[in-house]
Amino acid sequence: MNQKMNDDVVLRVDDLSIVYRTKRGNVQATTDISFDLKRGEAMALIGESGSGKTTVSLSLIRKLPKNALVTKGQVLYQREGNVRDVLKLSKRQLREFRWKDCAMVFQGSQNAFNPVLKIRKQFEDTARAHGWTDKEAVRQRALELLRLVRLDPERVYEAYPHELSGGMKQRTLLALGVLLNPQVVILDEPTTALDILTQRAIIDVLNDMQKKLNFSIIFISHDLSLAAEMADIVATVYAGEIVEIGPVNDIFYDPQHPYTHGLLTSVPKLDHEQDLLTSIKGAPPNLITPPSGCKFHPRCPYVTEKCSVDGPPLAGDKPEHLAACWHKDALLKAREELAQEVAQ
Amino acid sequence: MISETPDVIAATGQASMVDRLYDSVMNIYRNHTFRVTIQAIITVWAVITFTFFLIRLMPGNPIDVLVEQIMVAEGIPYQDAYDRVAASFDFDPDASAIDQYFDWFSDVLRLDLGTSITSPGTRVVDEIARFLPWTLFAVGTGLLVSFVLGIVLGMMMAYYRNSPLDHILSLFASFMTGIPNYIWGLLIVIVLGIQFNLFNVGALRGTYDVSTTPGFNLPFIKSAFEHAFLPIVTYVVSTLGGWMLNMKSSTMSVLNDDYVNVAEARGLKDSRIITAYVGRNAALPLFTQLTISIGFVLGSGVVIEEIFVYWGLGHYLFASITTRDYTSMQGVFVILVITVVFANLIADLTYGFLDPRVRVSGQK
Repeated sequence: MNQKMNDDVVLRVDDLSIVYRTKRGNVQATTDISFDLKRGEAMALIGESGSGKTTVSLSLIRKLPKNALVTKGQVLYQREGNVRDVLKLSKRQLREFRWKDCAMVFQGSQNAFNPVLKIRKQFEDTARAHGWTDKEAVRQRALELLRLVRLDPERVYEAYPHELSGGMKQRTLLALGVLLNPQVVILDEPTTALDILTQRAIIDVLNDMQKKLNFSIIFISHDLSLAAEMADIVATVYAGEIVEIGPVNDIFYDPQHPYTHGLLTSVPKLDHEQDLLTSIKGAPPNLITPPSGCKFHPRCPYVTEKCSVDGPPLAGDKPEHLAACWHKDALLKAREELAQEVAQ
Repeated sequence: MISETPDVIAATGQASMVDRLYDSVMNIYRNHTFRVTIQAIITVWAVITFTFFLIRLMPGNPIDVLVEQIMVAEGIPYQDAYDRVAASFDFDPDASAIDQYFDWFSDVLRLDLGTSITSPGTRVVDEIARFLPWTLFAVGTGLLVSFVLGIVLGMMMAYYRNSPLDHILSLFASFMTGIPNYIWGLLIVIVLGIQFNLFNVGALRGTYDVSTTPGFNLPFIKSAFEHAFLPIVTYVVSTLGGWMLNMKSSTMSVLNDDYVNVAEARGLKDSRIITAYVGRNAALPLFTQLTISIGFVLGSGVVIEEIFVYWGLGHYLFASITTRDYTSMQGVFVILVITVVFANLIADLTYGFLDPRVRVSGQK
């Protein structure tokens, strides 16, 4: 609890392990997840479906399903020098913490609004739940935010949810997300279910908002191009573990983990001709009985005997870029060969 | 070719006028309020016409019924009894049903429901005005109580699903809906009234204690509630289970909706989420069912009122059926049909205030 946190760290996740209790056994959803998020920084969690990204994000506001159990770890928020562990808040403190300190824009925000209440009511409800009862002030703030997300503020504020398009709802939810000036905004797949132009607009709006309001972002995505565009830090999640974390450029141009590399080569690029689009062999492991050692070893092209015995630690030459792999050299060699092939 | 042009213009001109007339008629018809009102009126007409002929298909007629009674009671020959009854009744059993229908229907259009056949001179409208308020009072109170209780209990079942509370209430609800309301009525009379002697069923006949003066005073209101209490209890127990089970499933589906999850993430207070986000949305589909059940309960009220000797419209209808008093029966059916159809119409037209999603454009 008494670890020193730098002033600019707003969120520290420390050794977070979560288990889902199911009829078929315990699912180890996340194992020893740790990371720091600094003020104004955007961090992307990328990985396949079922890798534990959403579990991590839900635990940040303690909104996990009932059958989930946090077996280990802390989720520390720092605001004005005060450090609080969300997992230890009382029910009342938790309610007050939610949305005021950390807001979450869920996956599929198409149904995020109560269909029978006007948008205005839903802004007012949110404000009043946190002790802000001056409706006129809420209105002013809401209109300003709606303008910021490039909507017609007066019209949207008085509209019912079904009168807005999908993209408009998504943007309205973003505006609602920052209504109480949270330090951290979690975005779970913020652009899925939207067409490509709307996605583009959402990204612009987000970048714009983040610059003006200076909050930190955690976003969950399997869209790598979105991660490249939005994030300062990228963390690759595989089978409930962070297997690689580092600044966005390092991750994209110098991936140190075979899984990250696999994700990158499975996405077509526009800037060079590429007939070497590959997919990662196999499927994500069953987390009731996860593989021994490095959890990626059954799918890894560079696997050796060591991998199935010992899990590699998250380590790296540079302190900000870490990867959990025994065979970074083999991967580097393979990448160089691949680059040569593409060059020819 | 050229000489034909004026004709063509005239023809298209005419066609467009017809089109315009058609369009404006269609526009009026497309108006939601207008259309459903017209449909309601047609429904009322169709049902009362149908019941008019149905009533006449029942065996016997008002004269036969009374003749038989008098013959048995006084032991006089058929012809004497018949002459006596026919002289006092304003009814010709040999008139064609079609003629009777048109006579009666033209009176109805003038808002006149005619006079009773078996007690000549008594206007049916007056009789209905005397009995209807009591039925509306008992049925209305019963439905309101069971609707509100059902919504609250149904939500509790959904919130505590799979708990012992949910299991007990579910069992209770299925049990209550499984038993028809006339059985409930008999059970209440036998068990509460006779077995345990909690209510003096015999003294509770009628709608209020005649020693009180009708009006806005406590003794009268108290006695009105006392007399209506058991019928109301019957309406409540026989409809409550349905509301509970419907509300439970409706609440459970709303609880799975994203916006409830988001409302929790927004840090809203539980009380606000339960009322404005879960309760309201889950209860919406039940309002439609409420208007449908008004018809059911009014209809089944005939038997319930008879069981409790509660002098409401059902009791009046029952008496009219026994004497084959055609005009009285028809009057009651007209009023019941109008009540049910217009309750549905009002529900249809006001549903938009409850649920903005179905608000028809231009109705804002």
